[in-house]
Amino acid sequence: MSERYDEAPIPELQALKPPLRSDIERRRARQRVIACAEPLLARRRRAGSSWELLAAWARPGLVAASIALAIVAAALKLGGGPARPVPEPVLLDDVLATGANGSVPALLVAMSEPDVDAVVAAALIETNGNSGALPQEQLQGR
Amino acid sequence: MAATSEGVKPVQDEPQLVERVRRGDRDAFAALVDRYADQAFAVAYGFLRHAQDAEDLVQDALIRALERIGSLRPGSSFGPWFYRLLVNAALNRRKYLARRGTAQLPVGTPARDSPAVDAERAELQQRLAQALAALPRDLESVVILHDLEGFTHPEIAGILGIPEGTCRSHLFRARRMLRDLLKDYRHQ
Repeated sequence: MSERYDEAPIPELQALKPPLRSDIERRRARQRVIACAEPLLARRRRAGSSWELLAAWARPGLVAASIALAIVAAALKLGGGPARPVPEPVLLDDVLATGANGSVPALLVAMSEPDVDAVVAAALIETNGNSGALPQEQLQGR
Repeated sequence: MAATSEGVKPVQDEPQLVERVRRGDRDAFAALVDRYADQAFAVAYGFLRHAQDAEDLVQDALIRALERIGSLRPGSSFGPWFYRLLVNAALNRRKYLARRGTAQLPVGTPARDSPAVDAERAELQQRLAQALAALPRDLESVVILHDLEGFTHPEIAGILGIPEGTCRSHLFRARRMLRDLLKDYRHQ
């Protein structure tokens, strides 16, 4: 006890000591507590076993996922991946210079497939031997 | 009940016991009950002064401790944590009983002596109980834990979550106030 706080205990307080409990009372109290605790303990056991199950599966799961990933990566590397031709960019001046009969064969490289109408129109123009050039009278009319 | 504070001291295998209780081990929980129930009963009785209420309170506190054992940091000792739960529960229970107007006055030990001695003891117990109840809560808790149950200042500081110096000053003030409150009785 610190000297600053030196106040003697009060002996009469001992009269408030708890009554002595018999062994039977103590045993009964113990059984009551443990019986009340049993559902909680059982829940903890179940929760614990779920985690253990999860932990048991976690390692093989990780190994399997790693193997699958490695196989996919190897397949992509060997197969060269999905081949998708990328058209070379063309300068506008070159395009204009190579055009015959004043026509412009292409100005842009389409990023997507042409629709059916465009294909049919191009085919008709080709079969007419027009090579994409406009008729002379139309040029003069402009 | 010996006025020792063995219950609050960390026991060597206690972290393992707590870990086993976390996993739902019945034997480990029973071992904690065996270790703490008696002193917990004495502490609860110190606050409630009614054997059956104290018994019920200890049971509730042990079940609550089991429910919350996940919040006990691994490696830290069960005792102070559990006694803190118990003291808070005891104070709440007493407040509830007081609100209902059913607060218990001391029942005390069963009569063993002559009626005159028993009557005198009963009167003393009643005076003490009233004097204790007149103390502020913190002071009362310290005097019960220290003077009745024999906990040391560091242990009480751990249980109540207060600095050790505060604990000492609380005890000093509590004893002074009790002496004043019991002055009349002592002079009789």
